[in-house]
Amino acid sequence: MKILTPNKVDSFFQLLTQKWDVRLPIVLTDGTRVISSLGDGSIALHGGAVSSKPTAAFFPQHSSVFISVNGLIQEQTTPGLPIFVLGFTDRDLECLRFIDRFFANGLRDDIYFTLRSNAVVAGISGYCGVNGALLQPSSGNCDLEFFWDGCRWLIIPYSGAGNEIVADLPDSAPPEAIEAFKKASTALPDENEKILRQASELLRADRVPDSFWSEIGDRCISCTGCNLACPTCTCFGVQDWRSSKTIERSRMWDSCQLDGFMREASGHNPLGTEALRTRRRIHHKLAADPEKWGDISCFLCGRCDKACPTGIGILAVAKELVARFA
Amino acid sequence: MKRTLTVCPYCGTGCTFYLVSDNGRLVGVEPSTTHPVSRGGLCIKGWNAFAFVHHPDRLTTPLIRRDGLLQAASWDDALNLVVEKLKGLQKNYGTDAVMFASSAKATNEENYLLMKLARAVFSTNNIDHCARLCHSSTVTGLAETFGSGAMTNSISCFDQTDLILVIGSNTTEQHPLIGSRILNAVRSGTQLIVADNRRIRLARQADLHLRHKNGSDVALLHGIMHVIIAEDLAEEKFISSRTENYAALTESVAEWTPERAATITGLEATEIIAAARLFASAERAMIVYSMGITQHSHGVDNVRCIASLAMLTGNVGRPGTGVNPLRGQNNVQGGCDMGALPDLYSGYQKVSDPQLREKFASSWGLKSLPATPGLPLTRAMNAATEGQLKAMFIMGENPVISDPDQRHAVATLQNLELLVVQDIFLTETAALADIVLPAACYAEKDGTFTSTERRIQRLQKAVEPPGEARADWEIICRIAERAGYPGMRYSTTSEIMEEIATLTPIYGGINHERLDPHGLQWPCPDIDHPGTPLLHVDGFTRGLGRFSPVDHRLSAEQTDEAYPFVLTTGRTYFHWHTGSMTRRTHLLNREEPHSFIELHPDDAATLGVRNRDELLVSSRRGRLKTQARVTEMVIPGVVFMPFHFAEGAANTLTNNVLDPESSIPEFKVCAVQVEKLP
Amino acid sequence: MTAACHTGLYLPIECEILSVSELTPAEKLFQVRRTDGVPLGHLPGQFIQVSLLGWGEAPISVASSPTRNNFFELGVRRAGTLTGAMHQLKVGDVIGIRGPFGRPFDLSRMRGKDLLLISGGCGLAPMRSLIQYCEDRPSEFGRISILYGAKNPTYTLFKDDLAAWNASARFACSLTVDNSTGKDCYSGNVGLITSLIPPLTFDPSKTIAAIVGPPVMYRSVITELKTKGLTSDRIAVSLERQMRCGVGKCGHCTIEHLYCCQDGPVFWLNEVEHLRGAL
Repeated sequence: MKILTPNKVDSFFQLLTQKWDVRLPIVLTDGTRVISSLGDGSIALHGGAVSSKPTAAFFPQHSSVFISVNGLIQEQTTPGLPIFVLGFTDRDLECLRFIDRFFANGLRDDIYFTLRSNAVVAGISGYCGVNGALLQPSSGNCDLEFFWDGCRWLIIPYSGAGNEIVADLPDSAPPEAIEAFKKASTALPDENEKILRQASELLRADRVPDSFWSEIGDRCISCTGCNLACPTCTCFGVQDWRSSKTIERSRMWDSCQLDGFMREASGHNPLGTEALRTRRRIHHKLAADPEKWGDISCFLCGRCDKACPTGIGILAVAKELVARFA
Repeated sequence: MKRTLTVCPYCGTGCTFYLVSDNGRLVGVEPSTTHPVSRGGLCIKGWNAFAFVHHPDRLTTPLIRRDGLLQAASWDDALNLVVEKLKGLQKNYGTDAVMFASSAKATNEENYLLMKLARAVFSTNNIDHCARLCHSSTVTGLAETFGSGAMTNSISCFDQTDLILVIGSNTTEQHPLIGSRILNAVRSGTQLIVADNRRIRLARQADLHLRHKNGSDVALLHGIMHVIIAEDLAEEKFISSRTENYAALTESVAEWTPERAATITGLEATEIIAAARLFASAERAMIVYSMGITQHSHGVDNVRCIASLAMLTGNVGRPGTGVNPLRGQNNVQGGCDMGALPDLYSGYQKVSDPQLREKFASSWGLKSLPATPGLPLTRAMNAATEGQLKAMFIMGENPVISDPDQRHAVATLQNLELLVVQDIFLTETAALADIVLPAACYAEKDGTFTSTERRIQRLQKAVEPPGEARADWEIICRIAERAGYPGMRYSTTSEIMEEIATLTPIYGGINHERLDPHGLQWPCPDIDHPGTPLLHVDGFTRGLGRFSPVDHRLSAEQTDEAYPFVLTTGRTYFHWHTGSMTRRTHLLNREEPHSFIELHPDDAATLGVRNRDELLVSSRRGRLKTQARVTEMVIPGVVFMPFHFAEGAANTLTNNVLDPESSIPEFKVCAVQVEKLP
Repeated sequence: MTAACHTGLYLPIECEILSVSELTPAEKLFQVRRTDGVPLGHLPGQFIQVSLLGWGEAPISVASSPTRNNFFELGVRRAGTLTGAMHQLKVGDVIGIRGPFGRPFDLSRMRGKDLLLISGGCGLAPMRSLIQYCEDRPSEFGRISILYGAKNPTYTLFKDDLAAWNASARFACSLTVDNSTGKDCYSGNVGLITSLIPPLTFDPSKTIAAIVGPPVMYRSVITELKTKGLTSDRIAVSLERQMRCGVGKCGHCTIEHLYCCQDGPVFWLNEVEHLRGAL
């Protein structure tokens, strides 16, 4: 275990930029906290989960698939520095674990792993949530973890890469605070998790009528924010841009809340109504993914509930569903 | 990675977001979580607002038409030619032979500069912009009744109201983050009346949905006001202390019994009575309207009636009340504020007032400025057809797709001796130009936009423009320079705003630094002023609110045997106006890839039409092919088309008849025939 | 940009068009070969992603059997922008492909059985791959019945093939069209494809049915087959979805927890009939 004192934070990350493309929580000019590069705003490790999804480091909103010049497809051959991302809460790390497995399963998504393979992922936990609230420690599914004990960062490396990052920092014996906290926090019952599990059971038992989805669908303005904010949403669309000499194929985040998402050229659309699309969004996380992967793929990060302008994020819908049909 | 806080370039709601860039390329959008309007959310256009910016179709170099073809040229050649030709035509035909069309997509600074270019450099008041096509009726109608043509209240008021009347606004699609507030308000108990014959999303949640006939708004509002007065539900105290000319209103609505209003509107009298009682019973009621009210040959009358209804029930000057025209474009409020209007300088200061002319002339270093108001955009198009107008300089507008009666619009533009178009893509209009100037888009420049709630916010440059494209304000300054005018040298847009503030009382306290992070609402007369969320609190801008009675007039074109359907036009959620940006945004264009027409199932059955069938739609102006969308969204006898699509362009059909006062075209009603193609 | 080279899951492989022929006014058949000469390596029921650079990609099922030729065939209906652009292509033009993708017909479970091969509209294209396969490996399958329904005589695909199969002792062919104008010199059955099933006699315990066609066709055909005693584990359905990536990632082709492009497109009916929106 290593120690990083607050007065060394800036210089520590500054030094890291020599070998890494460093991304970490920063606060932007209007107070929005996101994960971005040093220099894009002030470092803001405190304040809990950042508003934008940290998995975007590996699956960005828009990325190139290939460029073709004069009919020849050119692979991008200039690898940048490997990515170092700090700012994953333990829930975010669960999300990352989920999409790592998703993109690796079967045919491995090489575009994702181009960014992901050599990246170092750092979790964040301790008394650094909103107003000093406790952020649960991770289960160690990251390269290293930054734990704020109230006056300094205790850094626990879990992997070789993690070790390398903090090699030059001073050592510390693991304080009992972490262990005690870990023990206490695992015993904490999470009311929201219970609701999500109940909702999942209701869906899998087919106990939610279509009229419910119509009602929710009526309140959806198809902004797609729920999908775009979600760290476990992986759907993408593909576009080709052509100019006289070059063709650029790229992919971008897509959303199952759009009528065109599954619409076929013939006009046939398996997700042709708002009710079906709303059902798909919730059902996918709470019933389909458990069927395929054994996990509910919502880890209650809360981002869709914040991004949704009409209050039908996944937890809000799950609560309504449990209240009415449980 | 870099994140730049900026303002959404689509509607007038004024959401802000961060543009995410990586090595000079935009790669995404992240909402601002602290913004008072967008509050961490965006609509689909906002979430995808980065996606067209680097499109390969962007204009990257000036173009000059040579041998009939637009060919790449240098900035020097293009700008010299612009100045030489404009000056030459003015010399031959008079200064008013040229017209400047500004843009509600451009910044306040750019609108101010184009206004200044027209008036100070080219000595003409022929300057206008697309507000003429959307809310000119509001500016005229509310200026007369209230003294100010802007939204009276703030978007936050939707959280503090008891009743919302939405008339002629498809809010969840056209101002989605305002529409979502209305949906949320309804969830927490606010009552909702929707007056619109399309079954829009808000109608599904409405306590009352009034599907009155197109063009019958005056009859409906008269009927409602008649009931309120007859049943003694009017707010007498407000009327007596805050308004004038009430007697004339009572007289004008006296004969508009709900039964009479019912025959014109196609509603039941009971629906009108219910609406009146519901509206009048609310402690705080907001009226929200948009193009459904303004785009009529009696658009100003519609607005007058709305103002009357608000005053009649005392719903002005308090939180959760007010007359709330939702401005369509990101900066259409600012375009008006900046005086890109033929009769007004910035801040609604009249060019006909000698003292104001003197003020602007002396500030701009000139002896005098032209005194006669110029031509409204729509009348300029007619003047060009008739040959009085010889040249148009169009910045960021696409009248070939957006103006009524496309054949007339195209013929007009082709009839000009000079057409200069400054834009980001080679639009259908730019394709007709003699000179095309490549502009930077919203992500590539600084400045300010003013949202529908009068909130002035900063646009900030995230990436460089492509090739040789330049910001509109830089191009305008270079034109002024070449025309020999020394008074338009600025190194930043904040210098332009400083000048605006000195000349424009409602913007008197505005400077760029003060606008961080979430802007200020005008009027903001001095540097210490916190801005004004609510207008007309203690008194109306004009003193007393004025009831302006109107006579009921029918829409200009009525259906008949040859053209039995009413066509009403508008927009879809996924596209923006003429589609130059959204049709180049993959996800948005995938959602609505082609022109369509909404048709009621009963009408479809009569015509033997099925969903997705190809139809021929014709009016007295022209004809087009489009795809059938059979839906109960519309009522029988009425068809709806969005105007975004160049192929199957709804404005081939629309009627170029203008409101006599505001010169707005009647986009919302014309007569068409619909036939199935074999 | 931190993106480094990646290995090519999404990179199209160059192919050359060997011939183009018109199947119907809306459908063309392309003979295609990888320019590097490597065989496609597909099985009946699989599809490929066809790329036209600048136009995008579309999933197209392979219409020929891996048992013949050193090229493969694609039957393409003009429906969207990409397929519209494909219809402009000529011999010698180059296209890109990725794949083959997806789960093919389960030949191991079909071997030794009598087969009912039922297709509608352009569903005959993927079915043709299976029919040719059966034709080339006659000893592996029992009695084979081909049932095909088209919208009208003009829009009947692979007319020559159908005629040859009809003439062949190897197959029992039943064809129909939804409607015929009389102007088209058509003298065969008129009616929906479901009308071809009741007259059939087969032993449900020794028969496997495979269905490929437009979405509206499945339910009614399945009902008819079940009436005849065929159970869901003996009915294979190939489901059409808007497959975009072909590799189970983009999400456009999901049916509840299944990804049609990888878990399908061919499913046994009992795997999907309980899933919402599958049929």
